[in-house]
Amino acid sequence: MTRLSDLPPAQAKRLAEIECPTFATTPFVSGPPLSRRKIAIVSSAGLFRRDTEPFRGRDSDYRVVRGGIAWEDLLTSHISVNFDRTGLQEDWNVAFPLDRMRELAAEGVIGTLADAHYSFMGAADPLGMEPHARELAGRLKQEEVDSVLLTPV
Amino acid sequence: MSALGHYLEEEGLATVSISLIRPQTENTRPPRALWVPFELGRPFGPPDDPVFQRRVLLTALQLLERTDGPVLLEDFPDDDPRRRPDPGWRPLLVSARTGAGDSALLADDMEAEVLALRGAHDRWVAQYRRTTVGVSRLAIADAARYVAEWLRGNNPESQRAGFSAPLMLRFAIDDLKAYALEAAAAGSTRPSSKQLNDWLWNETAIGLAIHALRAALLNAEDQRLRLIAENFIVPGARVRASG
Repeated sequence: MTRLSDLPPAQAKRLAEIECPTFATTPFVSGPPLSRRKIAIVSSAGLFRRDTEPFRGRDSDYRVVRGGIAWEDLLTSHISVNFDRTGLQEDWNVAFPLDRMRELAAEGVIGTLADAHYSFMGAADPLGMEPHARELAGRLKQEEVDSVLLTPV
Repeated sequence: MSALGHYLEEEGLATVSISLIRPQTENTRPPRALWVPFELGRPFGPPDDPVFQRRVLLTALQLLERTDGPVLLEDFPDDDPRRRPDPGWRPLLVSARTGAGDSALLADDMEAEVLALRGAHDRWVAQYRRTTVGVSRLAIADAARYVAEWLRGNNPESQRAGFSAPLMLRFAIDDLKAYALEAAAAGSTRPSSKQLNDWLWNETAIGLAIHALRAALLNAEDQRLRLIAENFIVPGARVRASG
């Protein structure tokens, strides 16, 4: 578990003190009940389709993961070696909960699950990701997505 | 992740983020986040536990309906039940000649070990119908050979157009680790990540070879190799004092 007290002290200190961007504003978009929302997943797990180009180094762009992807076709080339991979090897839903989201949509708990989901590689520089994130926002709105589940790894 | 939430929200999308490292989220202050007390790598908790995963997911999504932000940062109360070791799990028998002082011997052992793991890995694929091996796009024996050649000091060329040799090395190592960890988890037991990684890093020729390669490449002339060796092949918690 990632209670920092459980990690080796040097790693815990590095993670706690890692430089994160801070923002002057705090935007907050409201919306309808979950049952009327269209939701996409945006992961920072460095996910890509097996037959496409992996993230190299600290690439700051994003990749598309179609909702219909077979689990066998999903890979990660995240640069970090400091997260557990045995969980997602057994079940991708621990990091990319596509099956759980499908179930919630089928039950009507959420309105619609988007057809396309997206992944960045979380060790990239956040400032480098910004233009890609803003371009992605336009794409999501075109796809009539109003809400996003953000998942790290 | 928190920064992405900020950018998307600014563009008019409502976002909720899972937080794995609470201090980072406290600093970045995304609009809505659910901190979870799980290991890095599993933001929705235990594998093959849809009920638990669903609870985490719903707790996060419900933050989207709250109107009392920003900033909302809630804590998920329950630990990952799969963190507990499975006493029934048995490590695969491997035959590393654990002296590890002799890089050529270790390289041979690693290549032999990868071949020996094939049966267990085939069982994994039959069981789960997938594998996360494949980032290097090398057949696993070729990935083992590529890493072994580095350990033998032969500094092999990249085998893939457009990929530098250091990048190929990192991807080949990623594939070897995934292959071994999947092989070791095949079967009906449910080992914890710690059980699997203790085995990989302490008992296998693959683990010992990666440790040895890290030590050797820390002094490489190529800065990219030094960087990869130092940071991107052995987990920080597994680095040995000797390198």
